[in-house]
Formats: sequence, C-alpha cells, structure tokens
Amino acid sequence: MAVSFEYVAKETATNLWRNRMMALAAILTVAVSLSLVGTALLLRQAVNRQIGQWSNNVSLQVFMDASASTGQIANVRSTIAQTPQITHCTYLDHAQSYEQAKKLLASSPTAIEALTPATTPTVFRCQLRNPSEAATVSATFNGGVPGVYQATSPSQSIRVMQQVTNVLQVILLVIAIVLLVSSLVLILNAIRMAIFARRREVGVMKLVGATNWFIRVPFMLEGLVQGLLGALVAAVIVLLSNLGVGYLIRHYKVSVLGSAVLPAHDLVVTELLVVLIGLVVGVAGSSVAVRRFLDV
Amino acid sequence: MIRFDNVTKSYKGQPPALGGISLEIQKGEFVFLVGSSGSGKTTFLRLLLREAVPDTGAIWVAGRNIGELSHWRVPSLRRNLGCVFQDFRLLPNKTVTENVAFALEVIGRPRNVISNQVGQVLELVGLGQKGDRMPHELSGGEQQRVAIARAFVNRPLVILADEPTGNLDPATSQGIMKLLDRINRTGTTVVMATHDVGIVDTMRRRVIELDRGRLVRDQARGVYGAAEDMTTSTRGVPAVAVAAGLDRMLGAEPTTGRVAAVRARRGQR
Repeated sequence: MAVSFEYVAKETATNLWRNRMMALAAILTVAVSLSLVGTALLLRQAVNRQIGQWSNNVSLQVFMDASASTGQIANVRSTIAQTPQITHCTYLDHAQSYEQAKKLLASSPTAIEALTPATTPTVFRCQLRNPSEAATVSATFNGGVPGVYQATSPSQSIRVMQQVTNVLQVILLVIAIVLLVSSLVLILNAIRMAIFARRREVGVMKLVGATNWFIRVPFMLEGLVQGLLGALVAAVIVLLSNLGVGYLIRHYKVSVLGSAVLPAHDLVVTELLVVLIGLVVGVAGSSVAVRRFLDV
Repeated sequence: MIRFDNVTKSYKGQPPALGGISLEIQKGEFVFLVGSSGSGKTTFLRLLLREAVPDTGAIWVAGRNIGELSHWRVPSLRRNLGCVFQDFRLLPNKTVTENVAFALEVIGRPRNVISNQVGQVLELVGLGQKGDRMPHELSGGEQQRVAIARAFVNRPLVILADEPTGNLDPATSQGIMKLLDRINRTGTTVVMATHDVGIVDTMRRRVIELDRGRLVRDQARGVYGAAEDMTTSTRGVPAVAVAAGLDRMLGAEPTTGRVAAVRARRGQR
C-alpha cells in the first residue's frame, strides 16, 4: 500500500509545529554538535594541506651550492639513485627553485629581492621510504659531498604543530560525539512526546487497521527532518567559518597560510558528510523512539 | 464468521479472564454479550481484535486463525472489524467528516472513494447535514453515530460494540440500537457487549452470557437475565408486549415515555 505523500507531509508538519520547542532544542543541539564535527574535519584537512604545502610532501631536501658544476650535480643524482631509503626524487633547476622560494618567502619581500634565479640554490626534493630515516640519510649528504650546500628534513616545529592539531581534533571530536549522543536523545524524546500527543489518533489508526509503517512513517520522518534541519544549520556555520578564515588570511595577507582555505571540492565533501551524519542521527533517534514507545 | 475453540485467557496472577470458551457466530447474526463487570466481555472483544492472544485454544474470524496471524497481517484483520466504544473515541480536533474519513485515509483509500463513502455513511447514520461540526458540538448520541459511521465506513464483516449505549440516555440508546439493527440488516455481523437490560430484553436477539470467564448461557432470542421461561425472564411484561415494543422500537420514532413506563413496571435495575 502506498503511503500518500500528502498525508505524510501534513502529519509531519503538524507534529513538528505542535512540538516546536522540543524540536527546536533537538535541532539546535544537532546543529552545534555537527558544527564541531565539521570544524574538526576542516581543521584536519587545512592543517594537512598547509603542512603538505610547507614541506611539499618532501621528507628530504638536498640543496646544492649555487655554483655547483654539472658534474657535481650528476654525481649527487647517482648517489641518490643508489640510496635505497629514497623512493622518489625531483630536481628543481635555478628558475624553478627561484619560483618556489618566492612563494615560500612571500611574507618577507626583502628576502625575495635579495635572490635572483642565479643565486638561488638548486635542490633535489626527495621522498623517503620512511620519514623517520630522514636524519640518517641527510647525514650522508651533509658529510662533505662536493657541491652539496646542505641536506634538510622537515623541521621539528612542523611535527609539533601536527601533534597539537591532532590533540585538538580529538578533543573537538569527543565533544562533538557527546553532543551528538545528546541530540539523539533529544530527538528520541521529541518523538516520544509527539507519539504521546497523538495517542488518540494512533489508537484509532490501529483499530481501523492502518499498517505499522503507515503509523510509524510520520514519526520517523519527523526525526529525520529534525536531524536534517540541524545539519543544514551546521553546514551553513561550517561554510561561513571557512569563508571567514579565508577572508582573514587574505585581509592580513598571511599568504604562508594560503593553503588553509580549502578548495570547493573538499568543502563540499565535508558539508555532505555533516548532512549525512545529521540524517543518521535523526533517523536513529526516531527509530528507537518508535520501536520503544509505539507498540503497533 | 467467528468461532471460539476452547479459548482460555488469563492475566498475570489472576483467575482466568476467559476459561474454555467454545462458540460460533454466523455471518449476519446479532449477538448480545452480557455479564457483570469482570465477566470477560472485554477480554472476549480484545481477543477478537487481536489486542491479546489466547493462552490456549483458537479463534477463527472469516476463516483465519487469528492467534496464528503474523504481526504484519493484523491490520488486514482489523479492516474487517469495525469497533464502537462507550466513550466514542472521536478525534476532538477533527470535524465529523474528517473523523470518518480518517479511518479510510489511514488505510490508504483514494480521495474520491473516501469522499463518496463518507457521504454515504453519514447519510446512513442520519448526520448528513452535520459533517462540518466538531465532535464537542454534538450530543452524545450524535457522537456515537459518528463513531458507528467510522466503524462501518469501510464495510467491515463484523461490528464489535463495547457498551455503545453505556453513556447514553434510554431514548438516545434506542436510536443507536435502531442504527445497529439497520447495519445488521445489511448482512454485517454485530457483536455487542452491554449491561442495558431494556435493550437486550426488547431486541430479543441471541444472548451469550459470561460469568467469571465461563460461558453460562447461549440463547437464541434471549433476554438479559437468566431465564427458564418467558414470564420470569421478562419480569412480568408479557412476551407479546415485548414483541410489540420491539416492532415499535425498530419501526417508529423513539418514545422516551414508553421505555420509561416499561422500566418502571419492571422495577428498574
């Protein structure tokens, strides 16, 4: 039997309106908790992108002397090829290296002026099989190989920053989960009150032989709508916070942080995830309520 | 239509509400279910609706053993049973028409069928002009007519009525009984639990009496009190008068005075 769409829509809307204070509480809790979830996800992606940009996914950089000869460069290239810990390497010549330096030093124009393509050291950017081997490998290049200026691995500060954001994320996610559980309970309670408010109708429906699903669907849908509305509010908050961060970074020209603003694709994925979690919370809360308090 | 095979039902820690009931009700019968409070009448109706299942024995409704009905088939059983209660159970925030239409809406009937059938059934119960009223604007008798319309609108095989006249004065009750009788004449089986002596004695239909969960009497054209012969059963009212009263009651307009007079003569209980 088809459940008439019009009937279900009408019933759900009436229920929500009759129970609006309860519904509002549930929706706002979902919104707050999902904003936290969304923020935590965005933070993670932003930090990963920024760190990736800073270190360019490179765990070892071998800078050559600006005056290094072609022979010396070829020599280093073959040493790299013979080092088993290094999985992949790219060489940036003077022009490429200069471009890269301009990006990294964008915040200090005086440093850029001091550079020319000819004076910028060329560099091998390498990926290691295991980043923890960076110290050992860089030692072999720092040990007086002709033409090598310096071999470096990502600084300690980046690793500390990664750890701090990891801890921050865990804290945000724990708070978000607690709030999600409480919003689930709030939705459950809202549906329970809706069932209680409509016990006469439910009684009549059972007597005249309405099917179980017919009786349940409006209540389930009510929970789903609450979850969805909360999630949409959260999605707007997440979007605004991302725009806000982007605006601040541009306004204060902190271009080193340029990658912390996420591209549209990542943002859309995060928003979809937020909405999905909202739907799941709404449906879960109302299913539990319907199963426990609506004996059909 | 309805068959009880040695049905027993007891609630926790209490003597059986129904003990070993066996009986059969044919299609189109009009049956009074009588007995004092706690005799098992309500349990009888609850079992028929499958709001409860028997501990032992089997109940057959329209050829189906409803004790073995799976959960999801219960609604289709209930679509064949119309229910009327002492307290009407109308939805206070819906009009008369909406109340009756609700019963069809929630079983997914299309809109044109609903408006058609609701109109017909409201004419049948004599409320054709009052479709837009709210339940609280109606008298008790009119509210019960709405409840009967709602129970009958889907043309069930059986109408189950649990003391439908319990809240109504005698004249109004008569009107309700006329209506139930008219519905019965369409071939619908009617099972009515009642305490109303006057109605049972006047209608002279099959009477099933329960006492503490036992079937103590099953009498065609019976009366309310247990009776060996006509004279005692009607407590002094000659059978001819009863029959005449029945005819008048089913045919003519209700007359409060006559019923009151009959009751007075009986030393009304």
